[in-house]
Amino acid sequence: MALSSDKKPGQVETTGHVWDGDLREYNNPLPRWWLWTFYATIVFAVVYWIMYPAWPVFKTFTPGMASLTIEQDGKEVQVPWNSRNLFIQEMQSSPAAVRQREFTEKVSNASFEQIIADPNMLAFARSMGAGLFGDNCAACHGQGGQGNLPSYPSLADNEWLWGGSFEMISKDLQNGLKGNMPAFPSVKGEALTDLANYVLSMSGLEVDAASASRGKAGFAMCAACHGVDGKGNPMLGAPNLTDMAWSNLDMMGAQNVDAKRKMVEHVVTNGIQREMPGFSNRLTPVEIKMLTVYVHELSGGQ
Amino acid sequence: MTMSTTAGTAAGAHAGSAVGKAAAVEQYNYDIVKKFAIMALVWGVLGMFAGVWIASELAWPFLNFDVAEITFGRLRPVHTTLVIFGFGGSALFATSYYIVQRTCQARLWGGRWAAEFTFWGWQVGVGAGVILYMLGFTQGREYAEFVWPLDIAIAVVWVTYFLVYTMTLLKRTQPHIYVANWFFMSFILATALLHIFNNLAVPVSFTSLESYSLFSGVQDAMTQWWYGHNAVGFFLTAAFLGMMYYFVPKQAGRPIYSYRLSIVHFWALSFLYMWVGTHHLHWTAIPDWTSTLAATFSILLLLPSWGGMINGIMTLSGAWDKLRTDPIILFMITALSFYGMSTFEGPLMSLKSVNALSHYTDWTVGHVHSGALGWVAMITFGSFYHLIPRLWGVAKGMYSTKMIYVHFWLATIGIVLYISSLWVAGIGQGLMLRAFDEYGNLGYTFIETVTFMHLPYVVRAIGGMFFLAGIILMVYNVYMTIAGAKRRVEVDVAARSAAVAR
Repeated sequence: MALSSDKKPGQVETTGHVWDGDLREYNNPLPRWWLWTFYATIVFAVVYWIMYPAWPVFKTFTPGMASLTIEQDGKEVQVPWNSRNLFIQEMQSSPAAVRQREFTEKVSNASFEQIIADPNMLAFARSMGAGLFGDNCAACHGQGGQGNLPSYPSLADNEWLWGGSFEMISKDLQNGLKGNMPAFPSVKGEALTDLANYVLSMSGLEVDAASASRGKAGFAMCAACHGVDGKGNPMLGAPNLTDMAWSNLDMMGAQNVDAKRKMVEHVVTNGIQREMPGFSNRLTPVEIKMLTVYVHELSGGQ
Repeated sequence: MTMSTTAGTAAGAHAGSAVGKAAAVEQYNYDIVKKFAIMALVWGVLGMFAGVWIASELAWPFLNFDVAEITFGRLRPVHTTLVIFGFGGSALFATSYYIVQRTCQARLWGGRWAAEFTFWGWQVGVGAGVILYMLGFTQGREYAEFVWPLDIAIAVVWVTYFLVYTMTLLKRTQPHIYVANWFFMSFILATALLHIFNNLAVPVSFTSLESYSLFSGVQDAMTQWWYGHNAVGFFLTAAFLGMMYYFVPKQAGRPIYSYRLSIVHFWALSFLYMWVGTHHLHWTAIPDWTSTLAATFSILLLLPSWGGMINGIMTLSGAWDKLRTDPIILFMITALSFYGMSTFEGPLMSLKSVNALSHYTDWTVGHVHSGALGWVAMITFGSFYHLIPRLWGVAKGMYSTKMIYVHFWLATIGIVLYISSLWVAGIGQGLMLRAFDEYGNLGYTFIETVTFMHLPYVVRAIGGMFFLAGIILMVYNVYMTIAGAKRRVEVDVAARSAAVAR
């Protein structure tokens, strides 16, 4: 320790080293509170190590003294604390898990009709369905099922491309859907205009009547799927063309009849390919069931 | 206080005085320090601009403009690389080269070219790295996204840095090694280890930028976070403590508070940091015992981290009056306060029960920024305001003291907006993600948490804009300081040549 000649009384000495002209350092002791708090963290760590899995020892580790009570084969057993056992315990006995399991058992034994008739089960279906819909369906169909043109049909209207019964909705949720309308590029010119006018006239839009009536003959090839009256076929996902519910075309946004006709012409020329994934690998049977009730309810269902 | 009269007085090469200036030019390599300091500011502006941009993309997604190169996924590593390695790294090169020379009273080892190589290597590495990210080439390892050829180049640059630094220490004319240098040494050594081991990979071919990591699964995750957290520990903490240990006592004109504390907290920090990375992986597939060790060592790390804050604040404590007159001291005391706050928050978040709430939320992002903006950037700003006039020999200091004050307030308001909005966003999001309704079903869908975070995201982006405005003002102030210095030299030369002509 070097001397410092002009040391004030009570002042701590510096180490005597000097760098870069004026850099010095006092030799103050470690602050007491700092030292004791540091010791306290050491005590905390050691206690933690004694209680929980902590130190690796060759091919195993110190398991710790903490234990958990879980149910195994109908008996309550004490098991060492680890995150797997903690998960088992929470799934067995946390209030949320218990409540959900009660309802899950109830609804899985009930028919769709029983579920919508029972206020408690219906409320459960709404609660679970809302979460499932938000996380799995809303990205395409919108948060309220309002759909998203041109590829994602509305689930909130009561017009169903593939059928709106509980059974149909459930089947489609599990297996997914592939919508396919072939393209008809060979229909061109006036024939195409006439056909489009005829299709528009089916939903009561005001079009050139002469042209529409000329187009009726061309509709024969469409009738194979859409039906002679254009009412569609849910077995094929062929939409009803007479109901003013448009899942591919923004008819409401079109400026005038000309623009509407161009949209129909585009579909005839190019066809439609769209796909919804199946969810049977992602959701449990009960989840599919609750989601079915929820989707059914969005529009009233059939 | 008159002290030992060894080399100390000879080192009185205060760059302010004319004599000191001349001596410094001969004695020390200032040219390399100037270059790194300027590049730190250039990368700082670019990196913080990238940060503001991606924060705005989160608040207003149309800003992606469907241009792949500027989408959030590509710009995020551009932001982190530019601010950590571009801004932070260049600032550390600058200050460490300055400090090691002045406290060892020795010119940098390796002549002009070794240091020059570290400069060009580092700048080209950072620049090429971020351009490649935007083009879609990345290793996908957080904070280590550089593709393998750049990793090798950076390793060579870093080993050169290590040699320049260590050899300069060895040829010092001072009997003792100043504390700042211990921190820089541990930073350089640890960064070399981290960089090399985390980036071990097998290239797909010698003509490909793609590679496969040597690690997989849980081992890979643990290697990545061993790297990731120690990048925080040694790059963003230990190294900037080195900066603090030089510039705080210099600016305050006071001795370091406690030599003993500096030794104890240095070794404790260096020993404990290496254990804690796994706390980024709580409640995942890692063995429980690794989680326990990571959590407990994080708690053990709290007081050693605070050692640096105590030493800094207590060093300033004899100079409180300067808070009123010296904005540089304001930067330093605020940096130390944020350092203390974020090193308290860190161990708290590493506890498994807290982590269950905070992880995968923006609380983590807020925490990182209270350290990165509050500590790393603020201590760098303070140090640079001390350093820049001395490097260019401007006796009166920075061009405008008022602008330093404005910068201080812009930065402080920016940080407060940033971290408080992300506390709201993160804690709110964490609570929403774990909420159950009365039926035991999840209370919220994911998209509802996103909707909830919109407003905090807007405030966060505004906080970032404040901070960016601050550093832009600083760049102007630095430019005017340097331009003023150059003009004075020109006038000087002109006067002298006129005299000769007569």
